[in-house]
Amino acid sequence: MSESVIGVSRPRVDAPDKVTGATHFAADGHVHGLLHARLVLSTEAHALLQRVERDAALAMPGVVAVLTADDLPLASAGSDRTTEPLARTEVVFAGQPVALVVAESEAAAEDAVEAVVVEYEPLPAVVDVEDAMLPGRALARVLEEDAGGGDLESIHAGVDKGQEDGEEEQLSGNVLDTVHRNAGDATALLETSDVVVSGTFRTPWVYQAYIEPQVATAWLEPNETLVVSTSTQGSFVTQRELARAFGLPLERIRVIAEPLGGAFGGKLALMEPLAAGAALALRRPVRVVLTRAEDFQATNPASAQVTHLKIGARKDGTLTAIAARMIVDRGSNAGWGVEGITSLLVAGPYRWEAHEIRGYGVQTNRFTFGAYRGPGAPTAAFALETLMDELAVELELDPLELRLQNAVVEDDVGVSGNPFPRMGAVEVLERIRTHPLWQSRDSLPDNEGVGLAAGYWPGGNEPAAAVCRVNQDGTMTVVTSAVDMSGVNTGFAAIAAETFGLSPDQVRVVAADTATGPYSGASGGSKVTYTVGKAVLKAAEAAREKLLAAASDELEIAPADLEVVDGVVRAVGAPDHSITVAEISGKALRFGGRYEPIEGHGGSAQTRGAPSVAAHLAHARVDRETGEITLLAHVIAQDVGRALNPALVEGQMRGGAAQGIGWALYEELVHDENGQLLTGSFLDYAIPLAERVPDIDTLIVEVPAPDGPFGAKGIGEAPVIAAAPAIANAVAAAVGIRLRELPMTAPRVWATLEESGA
Amino acid sequence: MPAARQLELVINGERRSAEVEPRTLLVHALRDGLGLTGTHVGCDTSQCGACTVLLDGRAVKSCTMLAVQAEGAEVTTIEGFARNDELHPIQRAFVEHHGLQCGFCTPGMILTASDLLTRAPDPDDATIRRALRGNFCRCTGYQSIVDSVRAAATALREGEAA
Ligand code: FES
Ligand code: FES
Repeated sequence: MSESVIGVSRPRVDAPDKVTGATHFAADGHVHGLLHARLVLSTEAHALLQRVERDAALAMPGVVAVLTADDLPLASAGSDRTTEPLARTEVVFAGQPVALVVAESEAAAEDAVEAVVVEYEPLPAVVDVEDAMLPGRALARVLEEDAGGGDLESIHAGVDKGQEDGEEEQLSGNVLDTVHRNAGDATALLETSDVVVSGTFRTPWVYQAYIEPQVATAWLEPNETLVVSTSTQGSFVTQRELARAFGLPLERIRVIAEPLGGAFGGKLALMEPLAAGAALALRRPVRVVLTRAEDFQATNPASAQVTHLKIGARKDGTLTAIAARMIVDRGSNAGWGVEGITSLLVAGPYRWEAHEIRGYGVQTNRFTFGAYRGPGAPTAAFALETLMDELAVELELDPLELRLQNAVVEDDVGVSGNPFPRMGAVEVLERIRTHPLWQSRDSLPDNEGVGLAAGYWPGGNEPAAAVCRVNQDGTMTVVTSAVDMSGVNTGFAAIAAETFGLSPDQVRVVAADTATGPYSGASGGSKVTYTVGKAVLKAAEAAREKLLAAASDELEIAPADLEVVDGVVRAVGAPDHSITVAEISGKALRFGGRYEPIEGHGGSAQTRGAPSVAAHLAHARVDRETGEITLLAHVIAQDVGRALNPALVEGQMRGGAAQGIGWALYEELVHDENGQLLTGSFLDYAIPLAERVPDIDTLIVEVPAPDGPFGAKGIGEAPVIAAAPAIANAVAAAVGIRLRELPMTAPRVWATLEESGA
Repeated sequence: MPAARQLELVINGERRSAEVEPRTLLVHALRDGLGLTGTHVGCDTSQCGACTVLLDGRAVKSCTMLAVQAEGAEVTTIEGFARNDELHPIQRAFVEHHGLQCGFCTPGMILTASDLLTRAPDPDDATIRRALRGNFCRCTGYQSIVDSVRAAATALREGEAA
């Protein structure tokens, strides 16, 4: 046998095109007769729309149309971003699209936006999420609309809503959803625990900050098919959303997902209804490409959250109970929120004897909440892992040992009520224990500290299919409709090559669209490698069966006695009896050929979850004079199931950790008291720069997922989750203060140092 | 609207002409006028570096200058960076050292690295990170990009010595 392909680092399959500028992103395609649209955004956080005055704009050179909601052929009422891509009568956040200016050039559209005058009747802006919950408070949306979330919620993680709630709390109509998870008597258990710690934790709205702004292009084919070429995480879900918006049959909509310039959860069906609506209204091709300023204001960042948390333990370190009250700011998103997932993840990868957890999804006049890598998870981990550290101090236990002692193992029942599948919580902590940085934690200079934190992501499932086709020259083409957000295509090539018996450079992976491709859900929730990868494996197996049947006929050797190595089928033990894959394929793919094409279809419907857990170590220095935190080193250990391509896995781990560093130290979308965004550009909203991210040491831990392809599981979300609390715990170790709010900016750290007198 | 005029540029070693308005930014002339879409737009505040090109060998953000300002200079975009159909050593290093994920920042990163390595053939990591401070990457955490630039520096020095 030749060397295994699995577990070997290889360049991404898309790298050559990306380093030469050959990759066409969604804003790059040339479309004949293309019109360009620019958004008119609401300047009010909450108001009734009185009038949109468009004559002046229409008179400007190059302007083709100024469209409002009434001009789009929308099928239904509804107040989500799919069914109401432009505000109808009520605007519910500053930055909400109100009109589209469509022109012959981007510059003409941009000029004309200034000339559109919108008149508003202002309403009170609801911006304080905790206050908004109280009975009798002003509502963030006053006109009743039917709010269906469509398909978008289930993409990120399949999480139930906990038990039905008997007792009624008095809440305002801004509370759109409540989640209650409980088992045992947490209150009583906390009262009798030897040690109890508690705190209120705040995290802000955080922006995905993909470097490619949102963009979509739509046009009508002569046969009335609506074609949408777009930067999206999922083609089929976008097709369904467009069908819902415009009441069109699925077969009249074709969605082409172009190479994605970053998304991280944020690119799902925001731009397509705008581009498609304009194209349907004007019957000409229309592209909507956001400027960065528009992208900051008009898209869907991660929710701000407030978490009240209390946990307890016995003297010996056994965790007793957890009580949490978690308030999620959904902004204008009436369809779904992260209260379900965050109320699950706040319990962490630990065993509890009792829990009492409530989550609230609350509407305000800020943004539209959307998904961002590990939705709801970084906030939950920040709260829990800070308190775990405080508990260790109170108990005089080592923080790593405390976590290890309580870490879940297979079949422990979580706060979801379901047993945990196999997950490497113990293994990653053990791996951290021996790391030199952890070993050195007690011998650091003044004002330096090392912090530890852990977190997990449950993973997601959705049935998927794939096709493996052998070409006349013996190479293979793998066809899926999965969007390559994190390098999955490179993993698919390895899976297909290993399963079929080719070298990876003989395998090409292509992304098909909704008109041509096998089914795949949106990329998100860390599910693609686990689900689509499994389908690729089965498709390669099916193709191999066809190959062996034909080879058996050619060589007159039973299929069971054949093997396929690097594109050659040969008799086991007698390698001279052989025929190449190309020869067989050549005999199949021709007029009068005698074999079925060497082609396989495979599908998967995973039912078991494959959670991934990651532990972080951060080494930080705090400047007592300024409050500035310098991150000196960072380590991440993650259970990845099986690293199909270790270099790419490390890339996910480092990229996720860097985004976690952003959560910890820099990133915060801020509104004023009227709901006006104060941080609407990269000048005011800092993301980690090359100079500010240290080298990140990656420790790959492999606890195979029983149902994953070669044991692999989804790994994209887990690495972002516990980076911030690791840094917070490092700050505590360095200077003895505990921050309760992210990001830990220099002024906040300085103020906390002052208060504590530390 | 001010009148458009014909602009003559030397791009990737070729004389090209495009119709631009006086206010047209170089990035738009490249992308829309000349179809060189490897130069990307990531922001409107001259910060992200996705639009970086070389102007007489020096990295510039093509969203910060007017197309007419580039007249008379040699412009190199990512499409013209490979040498005689072979990847430039910096491009090869980004492929081999996994210096990209989504690839949207990549052309700008590579051209900024080219500028750095012309000036400082043997930079340490801190120098590389400083040079990349005007180029955002949201995917990689930068380390693989730094690795790629360091490897490219070695390859270029060895190529020179050979
Ligand atoms: S597009 Fe030029 S710096 Fe961002
Ligand atoms: S690789 Fe995606 S922004 Fe750098």
